Amino acid sequence: MRFFLGNVLPYLAWAVFLLGLAWRTVTWLTRPVPMSLTLLPGPADSSRRAALMALELLGFRSLWRGDRVLALTAWLMHLSLAVVLAGHVVGIATLGGQFCWFGADAATSAALSHWLGMTSGLLLAGLLALLGLRRLSIAELRRLSAPSDYLALGLLLAAAGSGIALRAACGTDELGNPSCTDLVQVRAYLASLLVLRPGEMPGQPFFVLHFTLVNLLLMYFPFSKLVHLTGGVVSRVLTLRPCPVYPTPAGRST
Amino acid sequence: MNVPLHLAKEQDVRAMGLEPVPGPERPGKLLAGLTEVRDSMRSMSVMLETCVKCGNCMRQCHSFLGTGDYYNFPAARADLMRKLYRRHFTLSGRFMGRLAGAEDFDHDTIDRWATYFYQCNECRRCAVFCPFGVDTAEITIAARHILTSIGVVPKFMQAVAANLRRTGNNMGIPKPALVDSVEFLQDELKEETGREVPIPVDKQGSKILYVPSSADFFTNVDTIFGAAKLFHALGADWTISSSVLEAANFGLLFHWPAMREHNRRLKETARALGAEMVVQGECGHGWRAARLGSQWASGPIPFRLLHVLEYAAENLARLPLKRLEMRVALHDPCNYVRGGGIVEPPRRILRAIVEDLVEMTPNREENFCCGGGSGILMDEMMDVRMKLGRCKAEQIRALGRLDYLAAPCSICKAQLPHVFKHYGLGDVAVGGILDLLGKAIVL
Repeated sequence: MRFFLGNVLPYLAWAVFLLGLAWRTVTWLTRPVPMSLTLLPGPADSSRRAALMALELLGFRSLWRGDRVLALTAWLMHLSLAVVLAGHVVGIATLGGQFCWFGADAATSAALSHWLGMTSGLLLAGLLALLGLRRLSIAELRRLSAPSDYLALGLLLAAAGSGIALRAACGTDELGNPSCTDLVQVRAYLASLLVLRPGEMPGQPFFVLHFTLVNLLLMYFPFSKLVHLTGGVVSRVLTLRPCPVYPTPAGRST
Repeated sequence: MNVPLHLAKEQDVRAMGLEPVPGPERPGKLLAGLTEVRDSMRSMSVMLETCVKCGNCMRQCHSFLGTGDYYNFPAARADLMRKLYRRHFTLSGRFMGRLAGAEDFDHDTIDRWATYFYQCNECRRCAVFCPFGVDTAEITIAARHILTSIGVVPKFMQAVAANLRRTGNNMGIPKPALVDSVEFLQDELKEETGREVPIPVDKQGSKILYVPSSADFFTNVDTIFGAAKLFHALGADWTISSSVLEAANFGLLFHWPAMREHNRRLKETARALGAEMVVQGECGHGWRAARLGSQWASGPIPFRLLHVLEYAAENLARLPLKRLEMRVALHDPCNYVRGGGIVEPPRRILRAIVEDLVEMTPNREENFCCGGGSGILMDEMMDVRMKLGRCKAEQIRALGRLDYLAAPCSICKAQLPHVFKHYGLGDVAVGGILDLLGKAIVL
């Protein structure tokens, strides 16, 4: 079991995630766009188009135009998710030393890393729960939602929750370094996965739980509405494309 | 369930070149249509699959706000299609069924489609507020075309399409009647202005082909008067054509082959006349079909294509104008702002010709639809239409006293007087912008 969860599942999960998402996205892109559905008044040139795209993707511009509470909740949720993901990469790679790049000493950096990880994790979980409650409390939205909508939310929440538990169970020593497990051991294990020579998975129960949930989430991702990661871009591009120009410029037939 | 629409009879469906599908075979044919549309229209699959059901569109949709009906909540409307789509085209839907939001046909599926895809005005306001730009109008358009492919067509749409096919216009005006009508209009113009203001018909070699809405020859004659005075005052070399006397293109709203046919008619007519410029009259969805659809429907377009309001705004400085003492509000037709990019020209014109131009809230690309958009003008739908017009009525009421509501689209012009009467706003005059421009031009 430990071999399956530690040495097979991660590869399976990433393969399903990457291939699945690529398959879904490429399938969309191979389908033609017969009639332009540019949402007007559109941006005048390509730099403004790029700026608007950035504003949509990073600032949730259209959502903000409608329900501001929802926009803020959703934006903060995605932001905390981004911080958590980025924190995993740099925090594990540097063993909590990422803030040394900005002049902190090792202990301060580890403490900062711990604090930021904990805060953004809690924020993520809290906002996910809030979005779930919102879904349940608006009658029309509750009627529209299928179990799969809650599953996506639930898996994210479980992954975040187990991560928080892992961090809490470990605690920190007086220097701010994780005290119960070894970040070193985790880093070595993840590195071994990356170079395709998988070593043994650390046995800390919360780590096993967290790691397994994340892998399950990755496998569910391409088959759920979480594909809005790429679908949102593909869809948004449709509404931002330049309109046809008449008379049709020479050499352009489609 | 009871579909509030009158549907076309079998022989009428056959006359459109379609084979009516008997009840038991409908689900299979509908799925075939869904497959075809999925493979030929990127927006449908990506938008159905990307929606996260956040619900932001609910309070932005005048159809939901006016009817309070769950299925008129845009994401729920799209879900009518998404449930089948998931069940038949996605892995999660096939294996997890209802757990993944997938559902197969039930007794009411097709009736529910016919009911609710004809309570969406295809106004695209939801797309403005959707975080991903998911445009429920695309889903509605797809659904209506699929319904048409199985022979489920509103009688109203079928009758309009039959007229369009026979005569090149929605009203079914044949050339002799057009010539009579134009003579009469020219007499009226002479009486009013004391001058000859011609409305040329089929004038070979004209630089400009003007494509009016055919309703301008019956109910909205002031609109065609305005166009005639505009071209006359500018000394333009223009004509209307008896073969394409219609800016509207109902095919967009329920049957793509009909849309492409009408669009090709436009291109061929312009080519046969030798026109360098095609100017489209006051019609919302027709402008969208021409502006965004011509390339797809008819291939490369050899002429300049612009809207009469763009044309008038471009030439505003050259027009001899007087100012009308009126308090006027502008209603932005959905397919001008969101679907066709005409936002400022109507404002520039109105500011030049009326004393007091007021903006309603919201306006421009956030404006609410009149409730008749996408051809929901059927008499039998009057109750629903009044609910769809509720947001518009509230916007107008908030403006206080108005002399005139400028609604430069034939569908808006047909729908809004009913809405105002229904909501006790009866004395607001509704008409086009060309109507006012005609009155402001000093000949």
